[in-house]
Amino acid sequence: MFNTTLIILAVFIIVFLGFAVYDLAVAKKRKQVYRAKSSLTAYLMLLPAVILAFLFILLPILYSLGYAFTDYYLLKPNEINFVWFDNFKDFFEELSTKGTLYNAIKNTLVFVVGVVPLQIGLALLLSLFVNRDGVGSKIFKVCFFAPVVISLSVTSFLWLQILAPGENGLLNALLGIFGIPPHDWLKDPNTAMPCIIILSAWQGCGYQMLIFLSGLSNIRKELYEAASLDGANGWRKFWLVTWPGLRSTFVYIIITVFIGACRILTQPMLMTGYMDHTVTLSYYMYQQGYVYRWVGYSSAVALLMTIFIGAITLIQRRIFREEK
Amino acid sequence: MKKLLTSILTIFLAMAMVFGMTACGGTEDTGTDKDGNTVVKIMFHVDKTTTEAQAYQKRINAFNAAYKDQKIKAQPMFKARTAGASGYETELLNNQIEGTLADIVTFDAPNTAAYAKSGLLYDISKLIPQETQNKFYSLNKYEGKLYGLPIQESSAGFFYNKKIFAQAGINVDGITAENPWDFAKFKEICGKIKAVGKVAVDMRIDAVKDETAPYLLYPFIYAAGGSFTDSTGYKAEGYYNSAQTARGFQFIKDLISAGYTSYEIGATDFFTGKVGMYLSSGWTIPDLDNKYKATFASRDDWGLLPYPKDAVAASATGSWSYAITNNHHKDKTAIVELLNWMTSAESSKAITDATGMIPARKDVNNNYAQGTPEYTLLKQLEVSGKERPVTVAYPTFSTTFNQIISGLGKGEVSALLASATKTLQGEMDRLQKLHG
Repeated sequence: MFNTTLIILAVFIIVFLGFAVYDLAVAKKRKQVYRAKSSLTAYLMLLPAVILAFLFILLPILYSLGYAFTDYYLLKPNEINFVWFDNFKDFFEELSTKGTLYNAIKNTLVFVVGVVPLQIGLALLLSLFVNRDGVGSKIFKVCFFAPVVISLSVTSFLWLQILAPGENGLLNALLGIFGIPPHDWLKDPNTAMPCIIILSAWQGCGYQMLIFLSGLSNIRKELYEAASLDGANGWRKFWLVTWPGLRSTFVYIIITVFIGACRILTQPMLMTGYMDHTVTLSYYMYQQGYVYRWVGYSSAVALLMTIFIGAITLIQRRIFREEK
Repeated sequence: MKKLLTSILTIFLAMAMVFGMTACGGTEDTGTDKDGNTVVKIMFHVDKTTTEAQAYQKRINAFNAAYKDQKIKAQPMFKARTAGASGYETELLNNQIEGTLADIVTFDAPNTAAYAKSGLLYDISKLIPQETQNKFYSLNKYEGKLYGLPIQESSAGFFYNKKIFAQAGINVDGITAENPWDFAKFKEICGKIKAVGKVAVDMRIDAVKDETAPYLLYPFIYAAGGSFTDSTGYKAEGYYNSAQTARGFQFIKDLISAGYTSYEIGATDFFTGKVGMYLSSGWTIPDLDNKYKATFASRDDWGLLPYPKDAVAASATGSWSYAITNNHHKDKTAIVELLNWMTSAESSKAITDATGMIPARKDVNNNYAQGTPEYTLLKQLEVSGKERPVTVAYPTFSTTFNQIISGLGKGEVSALLASATKTLQGEMDRLQKLHG
């Protein structure tokens, strides 16, 4: 495996250098001394970053792509056989049984549909709230952003205490004051995924809030003044000035939040374990690859997931481009 | 242009040399150091700052002193089990892929079948004399071959609050590892505890995110006469969904339905006097001795009861073990010396003194007084200890077991078992196809 990696790396470097040499040769032929020197500098400075990107981004993707067509079993790393599309066949066979994989896809879709509007909506509201020069707005910014810097593992454990079953749970204790009986929030299939959606939106929205804030800062104040002179109320100012001004920011946020939501893994893993009512596609993939050790099959699932996410992202871009 | 091309070529060659040297460094391992010592590498699953790791380190130091003249040197590596045991396993498998496997590794006993079948572990049947093998309570065997020796043993039981028992008028005199209670008696006692307003028992049915629930609850299935797989470990159909297996799970479900146990019991509820009994392993003993003094001031306030029996008596066993790996070191002489040293009676005592677990060897005399919790665990291990199913599909077994336990509250046992059996059998079929 190491030797294969070296060979691929060598080919990659040769291709990279090929581009560099060609560029320099053209410059030399045209007697563009300045271009030759600056190109050489540029390529040399680019080389370390390109190698790192190749090693840590492109290479794993290439390996994963290749493994998707093999029977790679983690405990048999030296006996990898090419099996064509068997893993994909297994995927669709497993899906047809309406078992764990079916639930994983269903739960992932529920999560995406729930968390994307909630997280973006929260982020937008918070950004509008803290975008004023009122007293304590900086403190609010820090408070709202704080969950982002806490690791997802810590956040999950924190929410485990809040959602703990019985009278030990903080939420149950709070509801108990109003005479509401305790509930096992994470075991109940009707409440587990909504709880995970809420905690994920709470944890992530601070980051999108900052991006919205940067978008808001780019909207010229004159536009608001003009709207005021025209007699626009707060809602019309938002709809006719703020929202159009945030459109490009919104497109970026919706794409990144969607991709992040599709990859949800940590929260169900730490909060419920591998259960049918909370398992997600990434968790299924992790379980198949690392716990059950079917790396080939897991890679096939990853490839299908990538194709799905890529397709939806392209559709999103298309939709928003048309609107523009 | 020529100068430029020469510069680029030089950079490229330099990089190739660097990577080339790295490649050599990753695979070449002569097994001897600069002083001519035969180096035996041993990898442990614990962080080096823990008490357990320090006990291993002391035994390694003693080995190096004892074998100085024979020029054998043990070199320990401590890899903490991040992300549960799977993080350690990832490290192990990466080493296998890279060809840098340590000579001896520690591994969790349920992985014996999968690791042995994949060729990760070395068959030590002929390297360890039968006389030595007989000294262990259990061995890591698969398909009749020996692949590992346990570091220490474990057993579990029901810790109980004597004040609550007295309040409920419960007398457990006469219940011992040799003469355990039965399922009916267990339910009767649970009923009495519930009658005094306490939760009867924490069966740990909420601990379904890792190996805790399977480890603590599988003996109930064996006790009911059930099983999980056939002797080959490739057939679950007819075993995992048998009537006897269902009876074992039904017993746990009955406890939930009757309100004797629940998923809602807090982690410290037993320790704060809210729960009558607590299913756990020997590692709870130090906690009861040293913490929670408000509830358990001394050992007079708590006791330990064995697993209840039904058709047969069965109790939990199994812990981590040592194994020699199938790495590139063909001569295993020095490696076997270290394995024998680390599994000797002296090492076994030193390590279990540090961890509070039961020694893996029968010839380690810990002088446990009759009636003490440690004595109960040891006797139970001897009398009714039964290992978890030996199957290459163990991770799937563990996952499905957790799913059954999690579903017992609302689901029917037969439906849960049907689903679990289908999943496990499917995985076994896949693995059988892989292994040929």
